[in-house]
Amino acid sequence: MHSKRQAKRAAGKTGVLILLIVFAIVEIFPFLWMLSVSFRTRVGIYDPGNLFGNLTLGNYQEIFDSGILKLFLNSFIVAIFSTLISLVLGTLAAYGFARFNWKKRESRAFWVLSQRFLPAMAVIIPYYLMGAVAGLLDTRIWLIICYIGFNLPFATWMMRGFIEDVPRELEESAMVDGCSRLAALRKVIFPLVLPGMVATAIFCVINCWNEFVFANFLTTISAKTVPVSVMTYLTVAGVKWGEMAATGILAVLPVMIFAIAVQKYMIRGLTFGSVKG
Amino acid sequence: MREKSPRLPGGHGRGWLSDYLRRNQHVKFIAPAVAVLFILSIIPTIFLLLISLTNYQLGWDFSRAEFVGLANYIRLLTGGDADFWHAVFISLAFMVIATALEMVLGFIVALLLNKYEFKAKAVIIGIMIIPLAMTPSIAGQMWKLMFNSEYGLLNYILRGLFDVSVVWLSKDLAFWSILIVDIWQFTPFVALIMYAGLRSVPAEPYESAMVDGAGPARILFSITIPMMKKLIFLALLLRAVDALKLFDTAYVLTQGGPGNATEFLSLHVYRLVNAQNGLIGRGAAVAVILLAVVTVVSRVLLYLQRRGEDA
Repeated sequence: MHSKRQAKRAAGKTGVLILLIVFAIVEIFPFLWMLSVSFRTRVGIYDPGNLFGNLTLGNYQEIFDSGILKLFLNSFIVAIFSTLISLVLGTLAAYGFARFNWKKRESRAFWVLSQRFLPAMAVIIPYYLMGAVAGLLDTRIWLIICYIGFNLPFATWMMRGFIEDVPRELEESAMVDGCSRLAALRKVIFPLVLPGMVATAIFCVINCWNEFVFANFLTTISAKTVPVSVMTYLTVAGVKWGEMAATGILAVLPVMIFAIAVQKYMIRGLTFGSVKG
Repeated sequence: MREKSPRLPGGHGRGWLSDYLRRNQHVKFIAPAVAVLFILSIIPTIFLLLISLTNYQLGWDFSRAEFVGLANYIRLLTGGDADFWHAVFISLAFMVIATALEMVLGFIVALLLNKYEFKAKAVIIGIMIIPLAMTPSIAGQMWKLMFNSEYGLLNYILRGLFDVSVVWLSKDLAFWSILIVDIWQFTPFVALIMYAGLRSVPAEPYESAMVDGAGPARILFSITIPMMKKLIFLALLLRAVDALKLFDTAYVLTQGGPGNATEFLSLHVYRLVNAQNGLIGRGAAVAVILLAVVTVVSRVLLYLQRRGEDA
C-alpha cells in the first residue's frame, strides 16, 4: 500500500517534469534557432534541416564591418543616461511615497504608474512633431528624454518597495541624533537600498535596450539603436537573416548576464516592485 | 501616520509656499518626478488632441494646418474609415484571447513548478527568462523566418511529419501566428509571477483543507486562487494593457497585413501617419482613441486590483 502510493507519486513527478521540459524546450527554441541561424551561410539558411553543415562566422564579421558597434554604443548611451536620470528622480519620489502619508497618496502613486501604460504609438506623433520643431529628431538626447517617460514610473514603484523594506526606526533615530531628513536619506536609507537601486537600474537598462517603437520612428541614422537594426536587414535583395540573427545574439547576451545578476529581484522587476518574492 | 512638522518660531510671514512645503513634506520629494512626467505625458497628450482636430499632414508647415473640428472622429465613428472598426475589433479580440491564454497557461506552468522539488527547476526558470530578454523586434523576425512557408523551420517539420505545409502569415492565419508569438513571449512572464505568488502562500489553510478532505480542484478554487487574487489582477493588468498596445511583433511579422488582417489599432495609426500617407491629423484621432481604450481598460483593472488588495 505504502510503496504503491510512492510509485504513484514518483510517476506524477516524472509526468510533471516531462511537461515542464517540453515547455522549456518550446520557450528556448527560438533562441537556439537564432543562434543556429547566426552561424549559417546565406544558402544554409534556406535549408533548415541542415543543422551542422557550412557553419560560418561570416555573419558576425559582416555586422562588425558594417558598423553595428555604433548602434550598440547608441543603445548603451541612451540606456545609461535615461536610467540614471529616472533613478535619481524615481528614488526621491519613492521616498516621498514610502515615508509620508497624505490623503491622495495612493491616487498619486497610481497616476505615476499609469504613465507607464501610455501606448507608444499614441504618443509617438507628438514626440515626433515636437522633436522636429526642436530639431532633436535623430539625436540620442531626444531618445533619452522619451525613455524617461516609461523608466521613471517603473523606478518610482520599484524603489518605493525597497524603501518600505527599510524600518522607519533606523532613519528616525538618525534624525533624533541630529541628522536632517536629507542627511538621513543619504546616510541611512541609501546604503541599505543600494542593491535594490542597482537591480532597478538594470531593469531600466534592459527596457531601454529592447525598446523599438520610439527608436524606430525618432531616429534615422546617427542615433539609431540596436532593435532598429532589423529594419536595415530588410533589403531589396532579400532579408539578411544571418546578420540579423548575429545581431540578436549579441544584443541578448548582455541582457542575459544582467538578468542573472538580478535574478533575486526578477519577480519584483516583473511586477513593478509589488511582489517581494 | 501623517507627519506633522512642529511650527518653527518665526515661521509666519515666510510666504505661502514655504508654509505649504512645511505642511506637506512629501511634495518636495515627489514634485520633480511628477513635473517631469507631466511634461512627458500631459503636454504631448494635449498636443495630440489638438492635432487630431486638424487636417495636418506630414511635412506641412504648422500654419498650413486647418482646424477641422471633430471631422476626423466623425469619419472614424461613422464608418468613413472602414479599417478602423476592424482595428478596434481585432485589438480587443487579441487582448482578450492573448491575456486569457497566457494567464491560464502561465498559471498551469506555475502550479507544475510548485508541485514538486527537483534539480532542473533552476534551469527551467532560467530558460523562462530568455523570451523576456530577447529584443522583441529581432525575436519577431526570427519567428518570421520560422513561419516562412517555403524555407521556414515549422513547415519543414510539418512536411517531414505529416506532409502538410501551412501558410502561417496568410490572411486567415496571420492573427493566430502573432498570437502564438505573443504567447511564447509572455506565458513565462505570467508563470514567473504566479510561481512567486504560490511560493508565498502560507501552508496552514492547505493543511486544514486536507484534514477536511477537500479535493485538489476544490483547494485550487477556494484557497489558492482567492489568496492570489491581488497577483492575478496585477498580471492581468500588465498583460491586457501590453496586448492592447501591441506593436513590435505585428509590425515586424506582417506590417498589419495581408490586407488589413492584422492591422491592430497601433498599426492603423502607423498606416495613416507613415511617410507614404502622412495623414497625421487622422492618425492622431485614432491614437487618441487608442489612448482612451488603454486608459479605460487600465483604470478598470487597476480598480479591480486595488479592491483585491483591500479584500
